[in-house]
Amino acid sequence: MTRTVEGGLLTGAAVLAAFGVTLVNLAGGGSLDARVGLTFVVMLLAFGGVHLAIRRWAPSASNALLPPAALLTALGLAEIHRLDPARAALQQWWLLIAAGLAVGMLRIFATTRLDTIRRYRNLLLAGALVLLVLPLLPSSGPIPIKGLEANGSRLWVLIDLGITEMRFQPGEIAKLIVVLFLASYLAERQSSLADRPRKVGPFHLPEPRQLFPLVLVWAASLGVLVGQRDLGASLLLFGAFVGMLYTATGRPAYLAVGGLLAVGGGFAAYRVFDHVVRRVEAWISPFEHFEGSGYQVAQAWFGMGTGSLSGSGLGLGRPDLIPNADTDFIFAAIAEELGFAGSIAVIAAFAMLVAVGFGIALRSRDRFRKLTAAGLTWVFALQTLLILGGVLRLVPLTGITLPFVSYGGSSLVGNFLLVGLLARISHEEQT
Amino acid sequence: MNRPTRRLAVGVMICFGLLALMSTWVQVLAADDYRLDPRNARFNLAQSGKERGLILSADGVVLARSDPDPDTPGTYVRVYPEGEAFTHVVGYASLLFGENGLERIYSADLRSRRDLTISDLIAVILGRDLRPDNLQITLDAQLQRTALAALDGQAGSVVALNPQTGEILAMVSFPSFDPALLLGPDAAERWQELVDDPARPLADRTTRELYPPGSTFKVIVTGAALQSGVAGPETTFPDPAEFQLPGSDSTISNFDGDVCNDGASVTLQQAFVRSCNTTFANLAIQVGAVEIGGVANAFGFNNPIESPWTIATSNFPTSQLSDDQAALGQSGIGERDVRATPLQMALVAAGVANDGVVMNPYLVERIFNADGVDQEMAEQSPLRTALAPATAEVLTQLMERVVTSGTGRRAAVPGQRVAGKTGTASGPGGQPHAWFIGFAPVENPTIALAVLVEAGGNVGETATGGGVAAPIAAEVFAEWLNR
Repeated sequence: MTRTVEGGLLTGAAVLAAFGVTLVNLAGGGSLDARVGLTFVVMLLAFGGVHLAIRRWAPSASNALLPPAALLTALGLAEIHRLDPARAALQQWWLLIAAGLAVGMLRIFATTRLDTIRRYRNLLLAGALVLLVLPLLPSSGPIPIKGLEANGSRLWVLIDLGITEMRFQPGEIAKLIVVLFLASYLAERQSSLADRPRKVGPFHLPEPRQLFPLVLVWAASLGVLVGQRDLGASLLLFGAFVGMLYTATGRPAYLAVGGLLAVGGGFAAYRVFDHVVRRVEAWISPFEHFEGSGYQVAQAWFGMGTGSLSGSGLGLGRPDLIPNADTDFIFAAIAEELGFAGSIAVIAAFAMLVAVGFGIALRSRDRFRKLTAAGLTWVFALQTLLILGGVLRLVPLTGITLPFVSYGGSSLVGNFLLVGLLARISHEEQT
Repeated sequence: MNRPTRRLAVGVMICFGLLALMSTWVQVLAADDYRLDPRNARFNLAQSGKERGLILSADGVVLARSDPDPDTPGTYVRVYPEGEAFTHVVGYASLLFGENGLERIYSADLRSRRDLTISDLIAVILGRDLRPDNLQITLDAQLQRTALAALDGQAGSVVALNPQTGEILAMVSFPSFDPALLLGPDAAERWQELVDDPARPLADRTTRELYPPGSTFKVIVTGAALQSGVAGPETTFPDPAEFQLPGSDSTISNFDGDVCNDGASVTLQQAFVRSCNTTFANLAIQVGAVEIGGVANAFGFNNPIESPWTIATSNFPTSQLSDDQAALGQSGIGERDVRATPLQMALVAAGVANDGVVMNPYLVERIFNADGVDQEMAEQSPLRTALAPATAEVLTQLMERVVTSGTGRRAAVPGQRVAGKTGTASGPGGQPHAWFIGFAPVENPTIALAVLVEAGGNVGETATGGGVAAPIAAEVFAEWLNR
């Protein structure tokens, strides 16, 4: 696939988004209006911008990264427009901001290689921890940066700019920084972590000194769980940590212990937090709890079942009956209106993006880049699996966004940067 | 380091596979379970705003239509131009409260098959018609309006049908309500008001409410007496002012507390025309519960009638009365546990009018598509044979005398031969239900009806079938016969 084909596919995605908005307008009894053209232009500017930036500053980068991301963004934009046109307009601004940041990042790494990051490893760790703590700031007071609580979790930060307010979820950026930190740390200490000179009872352990920064990340994810009462974000951080530890050392024991800790932590959360209890109820028996905790999942399943093979058509279903349809449950909304065909398209696009990411990791010769690529892909995949698995009832629901598809600016920014980083890594491997 | 990465990748891909499997389950294999779950509001919601077919009266008046919604292009609003007059027949199609009446029963025909998806295109290519079908019903709008006006604001009902075919010509239940109330933005409040209204406007007093039929039931007792040979029109009975019920301290007296004829003897014909309770309590006991029950069942009592929808089953407790003569005496005058819907009593009149054959009542004449081509036509069929033609003939003579010289004189229509029977049945708080059943013209009956005015109507405790219900019947007969 050449760069030109990539450009063609991105244009195709822009057309798809505009077409989706058109269908939504027509189904609502409206007609072609400025929003159709605007959607097309914004999509073209965002993905075309990143595409041109790659052409210029990372010409050898993989050209299979942007098209699936563009397809997902296009489907997301159309569905958000269908659910809430005002939010779709906001999301388009975020799309431009996210693409702009990705372009900026590609520009920075055009002259300084990704390796430079490794010099600022401790700064990265500190930055990630600060970002994670931000939502715990008091929600009122003199500080212009305030923590915000929503749906029982404290994940948001509100920046009071005087003239306007901005909300974002620092966790979406923090997860990238944590991956970069872990990659840099593990690339150096890989052998010392794989060696386990210490013996405690039947267990072989690495030197405690080697483990310290890792314990810090683990504690941070626990802190997120307790302080922000959010299972999703905490699971994502902890999952990134365990997955990368395994990738770096090749020791399945890390996976096993990590898995046990995750289940244990989840169980502890179940005992402590009411909203976790409700989510488990909604997972196991949503239809028995239709009047309460299960309503959202049950409505999502009613919608998906009604959508059946070919869906109701964009704008013709009733995904508005599903609470939070434009964020956590955007997949159910797409499945209802675009049917099984649409669901499989979304799942396949994610699988493709993840496969490309892992491919970049496997082909990387440099240890740091390999770990970064694997870590970024793994975090991206884990987030996708957790939320899709939650909607499709493979795991309990955790309130996190579906990358590129859900409404949400921070998520869009984080995932554009993630794909930009993967592009950069694949470029550096070729040069 | 590539091996763990590869394993991680394989694990992730397996999970994506599991997601695809779950998606297949929800959206393909088990999709119908979730789609058709009664808690899934999507189906009803999808119907709201869609075009529905016309419902027309027999004389071509639009009873229900769909107009384009001026606020939301591409959607429709249901309009009921006749307001409250047809509510209990036509029903309503409401988003919040579902469908009722013909709107519910013929919903599949009345619904547009257009769903704005690719399947529309396929259907058009295959030459299928997506437009909704329409109903023409048997009700005569003018007769319906006349009947409603004749009730004059009194709670009750009028059911009229063609005794020779079973076509229902008028079916009015009052109090009623305008179905438009249930379609507006404040439908939920209006609904609650209707539910809470002590006048019970939601109740269908033609087919879903049961009342003691009172003396109109004497038509059945007389039919059973004639049929079984126990008595003829000239058979004489004692004429006491009070009839002592056997095996009981209770007595039955006549309406005015007086003797029926001369205090010595009275013929069956005189007793029928004057509606003497003493004679009929006596006669019922002589005829027996089994004979009376047989005739009542043949008219439709104790059997569910499914047309046009499930009618509340009228009751004559035959086996219970077989060994309780006192109760049988009271049942002979349509009291105690005897209960009937006005539709059932209209069928009794219709059966007598049609030489003893009760025709299956029906409401929908034809279903026709958007091009006016008939899709389905009503079929006329006998429900049951209730009486031998000779018995029906004698009963007709007796019923004509009720109108010419008996309790039903106010049902008379100048220049027409009308037959009927009045009834004054015990009602709540001493306010009697007033009944009239009858048919006309006697020589070739084209209309049979039942009129019921609940709980004394505008008159109260002194209401009688002859005084309150018979004049309503006269107005309906006149409208139908003097065309």
